[in-house]
Amino acid sequence: MAIVNPTGIIDVLLVEDSPGDVRLTQEAFREANGSIRLHVASDGVEAMSFLNREGVNANAPRPDLILLDLNLPRLDGREVLALIKENDSLKTIPTVILTTSEAEADIVKSYQLRANCYLSKPVQLDAFESLVGSINDFWLNKVKLPTQKQD
Amino acid sequence: MLVLDQAGNIVLLNVQAERQFGYGHDELLQRPITDIVPSGFAQQFGTGLELIGRRKDRTEFPIEIMLTTVEGDDGFLVSAAIRDITSRRSAEAHLAQVEGRYRGLLEAAPDAMVFVDSHGSIVLLNVQAEKQFGYHRDELLGQQVSAIIPEGFAERLIADGTRSAAEALAQQIGMGIELIGRRKDRTEFPIEIMLSPHESDRGILVTAAIRDITVRRNAETHLAQMEARYRGLMEAAPDGMVVVDPAGAIVLLNVRAEQQFGYSRDELLGQQVSNIIPEGFAERLIADGTRSAADALAQQIGMGIELIGRRKDRTEFPIEIMLSPLKSGQAILVTAAIRDISQRKKAERYLSQMEGRYRGLLEAAPDAMVVVDAAGEIVLLNAQAEQQFGYRRDALLGQPVTNIIPVGFAERLIADGTRNAAEALAQQIGMGIELLGRRSDGSEFPIELMLSPLASSEGILVTAAIRNISVRKAAERHLAQMEGRYRGLLEAAPDAMVVVNAGGEIVILNVRAEEQFGYHRDELVGQRVTNIIPEGFAERLIADGTRCAAEALAQQIGTGIELSGLRKDGSRFPIEIMLSPLESADSILVTAAIRDITVRKAAETHLAEKVDELNRSNEELGQFAYIASHDLQEPLRMVASYTQLLSRRYKGKLDSDADEFIAFAVDGASRMQRLIQDLLAYSRIGTQGAGMSEISSEGALEQALTNLGGTIGDTGAVVTHDALPPVMADETQLIQLFQNLVGNGIKYQRPGVPAIHISARPAGGGKWAFSVKDNGLGIDPKYFERIFGMFQRLHKREEFVGTGIGLALCKKIVERHGGNISVESQPGLGSTFRFELSGGVQSWRS
Repeated sequence: MAIVNPTGIIDVLLVEDSPGDVRLTQEAFREANGSIRLHVASDGVEAMSFLNREGVNANAPRPDLILLDLNLPRLDGREVLALIKENDSLKTIPTVILTTSEAEADIVKSYQLRANCYLSKPVQLDAFESLVGSINDFWLNKVKLPTQKQD
Repeated sequence: MLVLDQAGNIVLLNVQAERQFGYGHDELLQRPITDIVPSGFAQQFGTGLELIGRRKDRTEFPIEIMLTTVEGDDGFLVSAAIRDITSRRSAEAHLAQVEGRYRGLLEAAPDAMVFVDSHGSIVLLNVQAEKQFGYHRDELLGQQVSAIIPEGFAERLIADGTRSAAEALAQQIGMGIELIGRRKDRTEFPIEIMLSPHESDRGILVTAAIRDITVRRNAETHLAQMEARYRGLMEAAPDGMVVVDPAGAIVLLNVRAEQQFGYSRDELLGQQVSNIIPEGFAERLIADGTRSAADALAQQIGMGIELIGRRKDRTEFPIEIMLSPLKSGQAILVTAAIRDISQRKKAERYLSQMEGRYRGLLEAAPDAMVVVDAAGEIVLLNAQAEQQFGYRRDALLGQPVTNIIPVGFAERLIADGTRNAAEALAQQIGMGIELLGRRSDGSEFPIELMLSPLASSEGILVTAAIRNISVRKAAERHLAQMEGRYRGLLEAAPDAMVVVNAGGEIVILNVRAEEQFGYHRDELVGQRVTNIIPEGFAERLIADGTRCAAEALAQQIGTGIELSGLRKDGSRFPIEIMLSPLESADSILVTAAIRDITVRKAAETHLAEKVDELNRSNEELGQFAYIASHDLQEPLRMVASYTQLLSRRYKGKLDSDADEFIAFAVDGASRMQRLIQDLLAYSRIGTQGAGMSEISSEGALEQALTNLGGTIGDTGAVVTHDALPPVMADETQLIQLFQNLVGNGIKYQRPGVPAIHISARPAGGGKWAFSVKDNGLGIDPKYFERIFGMFQRLHKREEFVGTGIGLALCKKIVERHGGNISVESQPGLGSTFRFELSGGVQSWRS
């Protein structure tokens, strides 16, 4: 287990506009990994504000992982992705697209914008829980993440 | 003459009586008749009576008296005609003398016979002499012969003695002397006398046979006339004329004969005709009699005989002789007209050469050739003519040409002169005239005549080349029929038909074309086709030759070309033309079938629009279906997920109702999710279908089995298959298809081991018929249609899970691949699903 944060807390930013999906994701991560602190931005603007530590988010932690839905109001997920990956300090944060869309176009576009990977949300609950478990397992356990002190 | 009265006295007498009896007139008057006629007088009346008369000097002489009565004032008188018959008596006495020998002869002689004594008196004559000279015997007896032959006879007698007469006569004996005889009526006539001496008791008498040669003289005169005329003719004749006697000697010839043979007349007269005609002539005369000559000649009359004539200088030349008999006084002579035929012979040789050449041409001619004279008779023909008309040559020569060409030929000859014939022909020369020929068996056939004149020695002949045009006529009839039929077809055609010539002009059109373009037929015939089809048509014709047109057309044949037609009112409309060549007698024409495709075009446009609409609609629908499904997924996912969370976290912690409620909710949500997923999958068949490519159907099956791996493992199903062929298919969809069918086969099972078998066999046309056979529940035939419908289920949810979209999906996939899906099944006996796919390229070979 790679602990990237001396406090042992893993910050994950979930950019998701559906409260239902947010809660499901929370529940699923709670099952998977108790050390995860899940931050939620309900649209792209909030997401950028959080990431840029603007305004109310001045003290926001830098997330270790970003889970990004594509279909967001106001600032669309693709644009957020683009912004993240253009930002020198933000682009090192692994950004995983987590969306209901299976459209090939979305997949391609995401990778073009340098998403770290693309995941489709399963319809079934248990499949979803399994996927979250896989994310945790892969991105938060197996994968070496850059330390926060590097920004 | 004496007249007596009843008493027998002489009352009248004439001078002859005076003389006879030697009395003076008065001396006898009133004397009785018996003085001079002593006896025998009285009783005889009417008859010539021979009595004795007494002269004055008492001498007696024989008399013949004829008595007649004469009525006088005094009563009957008797008239006595008294003839002194002394001479007669003596002649009678003489005659009696010669009677034995000569009387018969004399009287019977055809000629007049007269006996003359040395004094020149006629002493005897016969009845012919009487007739000839018109005298009664007694009138001549005793008369001088010069009374009847005035000159020439008496001189021949020398009066001084019979001896000299005999001498003189000796010269005359046997010769016919021509003299003039004088009749009683003083008329003269030519006589020929033949004298002969005759001894009698009176001395030498001269017997003269006197022949009346009037007729002969006439004939001789006539003949002399004729001879003169004939001689004139002879001299004038253009041919040599020679008259030959039965002995073969030339008795007459004309100047032309002299010239021909180079002789003078005298050199030939009396010569044998064989001098000038060595052979052949004399043989034709039989010298032993005119009768035979006439027979022999009878054969020759009128015929020209070709012989050789020999001139004086011994040169020979060809002659033609025509013989005719000529009766002359003595015999039948032969007149020969001799024609020098040297020129003709030469011409004949030349002609036969020419004829030889001409005949050669004639026989070699491919057509029947017949030469006809001005009278319409066939004079020459060739072997082809024999064959054509079925006659032997001999049967046609000399026959009127109307035998073989009944009507139309002879009328073209004018028989009244070659000039008119030539004029008439001048019209015919070179032109083929169509007539009817008649064969020997009576059958007729169509012929074409070509006439040309042929000058010959006999006038202008007509050479006719006769061609049997049966075949051509049949072809013409056929063509006319075809044209008739074609025209009929043309008019009946549903499309407008226009026939265009190589010059791009319309030659024929039908009524439909008139209607289509709004023209009257006459307005279009002869016009350029570009008037009605402005662009695109004429360019397909090359106007400089039918050959090129044919080539150009060859590309067009059968293809419909879309062009624009122009109506009379200027409006345009879309047309489709189909071209085909049409061979006519002169050239290749183009037949264009012109179809007004306005409606079709509109339909096509409409269709295209509709298709666009449909496509748009489909796309929208696809999008809609996708979006709908996709957007539905989201809230559904919430419901399903949270009801499951609820179920997981609070099952048993709430009351049983809550558990039940939650269970139904969870169930409903998951079904809905599955339905939407199926719906999405169904809609993606069309919208997300990939193109067909050649794939291994076996590979697709194996992938499907892999996907079903879990289910197969769970149920222990046995899935088998035959070797499956490569097919043209969308791989993803084919996998889906197999997955659904095999999955169904496994799912809808009774208890037991599911067994599925997949096979394929060729279905013709490069297609394959696949079958997926299971040993499942089977399907009631009444549901065969329904099961392929969307969301159709035959079982309750409790029995089998499923949305009912599986077979609809299969059907859609199969139909997208151009095939059909069907099922064979019996409840309890399993089902076999069949569908077709197009095979890959290789399957064409298998």
